[in-house]
Amino acid sequence: MNFEKVVFGFFIVLALTLNFGFFLGDIDNPDHHHAIELGAALAVSLIATIIKFGDRSQMGAVLLATSLVADLQLMVAVFVWAYAANVSDVGVTSDVLASIVSLSGGALLANLVSVTLLVAETIMIRR
Amino acid sequence: MNDIIWLTMRRMRTPLVVMILVYSLSVFGLTLIPGLDADGNAFRLNFLDSSYFVAIMATTIGFGEIPTAFTDAQRLYVYLILFPNVVAWLYSIGTIISLLVDPQFRAVLARARFSRRVRRLSSDFYVVCGFGNTGRMIVKGLLKRGISAAILEENEAIIHSMALDDDFAHLPALAGDVTDRRLLDMAGLADEIPHCLGVIAITNDDHANLTVAITSKLLRPKLPVLARAETRRAVDNMASFGTDLTVDPYTIFAERFHLALIAPVKYLVQDWLISVPGTDLRTEMDPPDGRWILCGVGRFGSRMAVKLEEARVPFTVIDVHPDRVAQRPGSVLGRGTEAKTLLEADVKTAVGIIAGTGDDVDNLSIVMTALELNPKLFVVARQENPLNDELFEASGTDLVARRSLIVARRILAVATTPLLPVFIDHLLNQDESFARRLKHRLEALLGGHAPSLWTIRLAGPWANSIKAAASEGTAIQLRHLTANARTSGDDELPCVCLLLERGSLRLFLPDGKEKLQEGDRLMFAGRGAARNEMLFALQEPTALVSCATGRPQPRGAIMRRLARKRAS
Repeated sequence: MNFEKVVFGFFIVLALTLNFGFFLGDIDNPDHHHAIELGAALAVSLIATIIKFGDRSQMGAVLLATSLVADLQLMVAVFVWAYAANVSDVGVTSDVLASIVSLSGGALLANLVSVTLLVAETIMIRR
Repeated sequence: MNDIIWLTMRRMRTPLVVMILVYSLSVFGLTLIPGLDADGNAFRLNFLDSSYFVAIMATTIGFGEIPTAFTDAQRLYVYLILFPNVVAWLYSIGTIISLLVDPQFRAVLARARFSRRVRRLSSDFYVVCGFGNTGRMIVKGLLKRGISAAILEENEAIIHSMALDDDFAHLPALAGDVTDRRLLDMAGLADEIPHCLGVIAITNDDHANLTVAITSKLLRPKLPVLARAETRRAVDNMASFGTDLTVDPYTIFAERFHLALIAPVKYLVQDWLISVPGTDLRTEMDPPDGRWILCGVGRFGSRMAVKLEEARVPFTVIDVHPDRVAQRPGSVLGRGTEAKTLLEADVKTAVGIIAGTGDDVDNLSIVMTALELNPKLFVVARQENPLNDELFEASGTDLVARRSLIVARRILAVATTPLLPVFIDHLLNQDESFARRLKHRLEALLGGHAPSLWTIRLAGPWANSIKAAASEGTAIQLRHLTANARTSGDDELPCVCLLLERGSLRLFLPDGKEKLQEGDRLMFAGRGAARNEMLFALQEPTALVSCATGRPQPRGAIMRRLARKRAS
């Protein structure tokens, strides 16, 4: 068993599942989306990115790219939430929530690509 | 590019001068003619209006956009300038069109385009002079191995038909005299063209090939030249100034026939190595011992006769030329196409026949007549026209000497795998057991199809794995490279390492335990899939090291650091 593969797979899949959990539900219903879940998704996604640093293989490069995309999307989502809740007078209304959730939807797609690549590589390299 | 501008300017000089004169005089005149505006006041057209009017008039576009209706004086003036303007305009247009269809101008355009496309080639390429059957085969083979080509061909029709062929349409090609130094310059001899690998001269004309070879050796002495030459004189001439490979198809065939007579296994193995990848492998063939009949001792036959004598094989000659017959006592005068001549040469007791006249139909007829008289004959035939492939196949010939195929295979082998001649030389000088060993190994993995050959130089990015392994305190052996790096266990790739070159050291069929070093050149024969796997393993930073150490290597930076800590 390859220990690196376990850690690697764990974080990549966890990033996807958390992201999916946050995304699930009506897009503008605050009861369906929790800030802590978004924060956790971002944190795990960042860890998954850091694990991929330094991998010079071709697959490693693509995995890093998709991870960075997910990070970017989630960070913007978190920033929008924080700004709406604390800085602006509007608060987290259903409009704002809709854009936050749609941003996390983008991240979800990037995470899906990550997992697909991981699966493809596992099938291709059987050692 | 300069040629195009210069030629256009020279041709367009007179029409442009005429047009400008007529146009400017008309405009100037029109501004002087008095007119009336909508309210009936005196009014003259300004320069903008009048030049606009003359332009739409001369081009016969004729929008009705006139600021005010013309007076009679203006109408009269326009009536006068109308025809000169239209004529001057048509004159210019006509000259431009005739320039565009002018063959000289088109040739200049084609050359500029060719030169531009050659310069833009981003992969390595050969200059191929002559795009007949042989050229076509060679270029196809080059493309298969990822090498491009810039083509020069005498016959314009061939270049035109090439543009319609999907395989070749993207290649730069030019119709013109292949011996023209300027064309060769454009095709790749010029110093500033970086990717040119060499020149291949394979026109039908020995003299043209010779000229190409000399030109190329004078302009770029370091560039390899591979040329076809069919007469002994041309071969010697080319060799005298350092042509890297001269291919004389009949001599090659005769030499290989000689090899088949004295060492069938060597013959078979070297035939496999120079076959076009993916074609069916030749099966073992054993020319019988005994007396042969040789029909025709011209360019082909005389070379065969020399080799038959060398192999101490008795033979009877049949030829139509009385002087050739007189030179060889015991020969028979005739074509060999009739049963009578063949019987005279005692075909019933012969073991083999070589139909080597210069005419395909004669050769086919010899083969068929001879087989009718003695069905056990081993038949060798010379084929000149590539369109007759099926006929020769159907005739029951054991071995066909196809000129274009021989040339194409030899040139391709040398052009794409420079180490191959070295290996084949070694093969021919070894005893049969070396050839037999290689034959068994190849047979086991090829599955009846001719092998691909590839060379890998472990330098630059291709040596990363070796460096990584050294830092892990282990070395990559040849068997790691020939194992499938994507699976664990002993999954061997279908390939054989023929040659390992390290400086001046050459190892033939090196052992799997041989440790690889940076700078090694390796030549492999095997299935194309094995090559892809090998390149994948070399590109992956950790694949070969994992193979060599027997445990998967961490890929990410953090995991690497952790692994190092645990190890220490």
